Amino acid sequence: MAQDPLHVLWIEPGFPGRLGGVADWLTRLRGYRSWFYCHTTGPRSHWPGSVGRGLEVQTFGVGGAARDPAVAWTRTLERGLCYAYGCWEVLDKRRPRPIDLIVGRSAGLGSSLFAPVYWPAAPVVSYLDYYFAPHQHDLADEAGPDTPPSYYSWRRSMGAIDLLDLEQASLGWTSTAWQRGLYPAEYQPDIEVFHDGIDTSLFMESSWRARGTGPRVIGGRAIAPGTRVVSFVARTLDRLRGFDRFFALACKLLAARPDVICVAAGDPIVRRGLDVLFHNRDYFAHLKATQPAVDLDRLWMLGSVAPATVAEVLAASDLHVAPGRSYPVARSLLEAMASGCVVLASDTPPHRDLLTPGRDSLLVDGRDQDALYEAAVKVLADRATYRPLGEAAAAVVNEHYSRAVRMPKLAERFTRLVEAHEARR
Amino acid sequence: MNILFIHDAFPAQFGRLALELVRRRGWTCRFLVQSLSSCPTPTPEMLETLEIRQIPLAAEHRSSAGVPWPQIHGHFLEQCQTVVDAVRSSQSPRPDLVVAHGGRGAPALFLREALDCPVVVYCEYYFATHRRDISYRIDLPPAEPASFFPRCINAPTLAALVDCDAGYSATAWQRETFPLRFQHKIKVYFDGIDTALYSPGRSSRRIGGVTIPDDVRVVTFVSRGLESIRGFDLFMKVAQRIATARSDVVFVVAGGEEIHYGWDKLHTGQPSFKQWVLDQDTYDPSRFFFLGRILPEQLADVFRMSDLHIYLTAPFVLSWSMLNAMASGCVVLASDVGPVLEVIEPGVNGLVEPLFDTDRLVKTALQVLDDPGSYAPLAAAARCAVVDRYSLETCIPPLGDFLERVAGGAR
Repeated sequence: MAQDPLHVLWIEPGFPGRLGGVADWLTRLRGYRSWFYCHTTGPRSHWPGSVGRGLEVQTFGVGGAARDPAVAWTRTLERGLCYAYGCWEVLDKRRPRPIDLIVGRSAGLGSSLFAPVYWPAAPVVSYLDYYFAPHQHDLADEAGPDTPPSYYSWRRSMGAIDLLDLEQASLGWTSTAWQRGLYPAEYQPDIEVFHDGIDTSLFMESSWRARGTGPRVIGGRAIAPGTRVVSFVARTLDRLRGFDRFFALACKLLAARPDVICVAAGDPIVRRGLDVLFHNRDYFAHLKATQPAVDLDRLWMLGSVAPATVAEVLAASDLHVAPGRSYPVARSLLEAMASGCVVLASDTPPHRDLLTPGRDSLLVDGRDQDALYEAAVKVLADRATYRPLGEAAAAVVNEHYSRAVRMPKLAERFTRLVEAHEARR
Repeated sequence: MNILFIHDAFPAQFGRLALELVRRRGWTCRFLVQSLSSCPTPTPEMLETLEIRQIPLAAEHRSSAGVPWPQIHGHFLEQCQTVVDAVRSSQSPRPDLVVAHGGRGAPALFLREALDCPVVVYCEYYFATHRRDISYRIDLPPAEPASFFPRCINAPTLAALVDCDAGYSATAWQRETFPLRFQHKIKVYFDGIDTALYSPGRSSRRIGGVTIPDDVRVVTFVSRGLESIRGFDLFMKVAQRIATARSDVVFVVAGGEEIHYGWDKLHTGQPSFKQWVLDQDTYDPSRFFFLGRILPEQLADVFRMSDLHIYLTAPFVLSWSMLNAMASGCVVLASDVGPVLEVIEPGVNGLVEPLFDTDRLVKTALQVLDDPGSYAPLAAAARCAVVDRYSLETCIPPLGDFLERVAGGAR
């Protein structure tokens, strides 16, 4: 199947976001010309290599409700429309052309909804993250009796932008079968599961891991020989990714074992609106204030770091902990697997979608702190016994989830979609 | 059975249906509404028979300026919250079935949080990005929101379709406006024309204080709002040419100046599309009677005096007034668009011409006015078609059965 170069308009609230890496790969290795329209950009150290070399990043402004630091839940779609409109305004002004394909990701903030107003001729692919169930998954599983009724109303309303995106799209695209299964049955046939893979040239088994000895460095800090490293990586250190569970585990491990350091990479400010309680708050500060004292010298809080530093963390990790709630699998989990980490994850449906417990990972009930601790202690006490799990994890990623494997298939799919669209016109 | 109807207005699509279900089946029908409608107005019998609870509108909803299009969904959600709060606080018995308008006309999205009965949505219409409804009149000056509005206005409709147990549309054409993926959920049940009220007979031939002589031909045009989507401007062009061709014709126009759909204010820069249209030409005021909004009984009288009823809608939800005109035995000349062609069989029970082809519309209209007798069979067939397929007697029983099936867990 041909993988012809295409002109692609990528739209996502932030760059590089989820689609930036995909755009980069297709630009570098399939000759795509990419325009990436976004509202905000991350630090340049996070930008992929093709920026300025076939991948042009263009920011757009937003007006109205999108300028407010926070909006009432009822105005979520309005805010999304402001993003979509802001994108359209810049498209109409800059007029990128030609466009063979539009790939958008709303990420709850609107995206490609109005792009066809500017360029109606191209098929639209909508990347879909998560469709809210009113009473299930993420933090809703733990909502107590005091939860205000409006919380559930909000959750029932949150699918609006995804439904609009799906109606407009030629193709819905999501990463895992579990994510697709969240969407209304009427839409599932039009959503293809296609994991975009991770960069296995950056995340791979380190020489330290292969030899079982050698230097380990994280952000310029050397790890003393014999030290056990327990890692946690998330975009933001929040409850959704189970940072509270990791923190509690770290406290116990640090108290029990002087040879352990725990390393957390991620922004301590909770950025996901899904965590209503801690949104825009420093969750680590909250945990520190509410839990027993912890040896902070051995709890390395790296903050938001560049992918290269994440790779160092994972390369040095003896145990990677992913105790998140039921929510789309973090890319960092796959990056940890690619790095050959022994992964200890919460036993949730999305994790079961990717992991095979006992073969490439360990799954325990994330709510059970004792179970997490016992499993962690066993791994740290007997690296050799658990080493095959890490090797199997790396093999799974290399075989199924590496960009090198996934991207050519995605390029084929994009080509087929464009050809079918052109044939119908 | 105990049904809770939810709509922003009463009686709208549900008032008469509920009344019939009470009369014919002895069901209990309650309503949660935001306002009592002025077109049509509730009848005294409806107000006596049906339990109607009004939920006050928020101040911004009452604004005559309307809600900016990006904020419509937010206001809809606020109303949804108000409705579910009202249901929670209600002392009334739990309903066996909820029947709600499936668009932003009924803020029923959060009802599942308070009720566990089946929900039926009335699937009135799904807006298109082009070649239908408010996107159809590209002949008018462009309006800035027109490109964006249809891409987001269906959000409440989609949510309702995902959430409901079943839906129904009044016509097959309306059903087909919905995404194919949902059509399996949507049945077609028309809700019934009052063929006793709208029936052929002698008319008073009085408009206000004016009596229309028997030898004067009457051309009628009816629309809730005199707006572009219903072709008011096109009708006036046709009427002007008919008036020029024949001195024995008057034109009776029923409908308010409000704009219910589309961008007429933006197209024209004026608050009244009617006035904008009238400003485009010089019309003989003695030949045109603008009635504004009128009561159903007055409308029935207007149809009885009609020699020709002209209905020039864009492809959009069929106006019940066209069926009322047919039930009244009018010769109907309509635009040849999908929703019309579902009802009118051209040359059999009505006449159709292309919406924008004024020449053909005028020519056909003049043929009817020249020789009404030749077209009388069409009028009779129109009446028969409505009695057979669209009357209350025909439509209420299967619609009631459908609601009963859904309430019982079947569809």
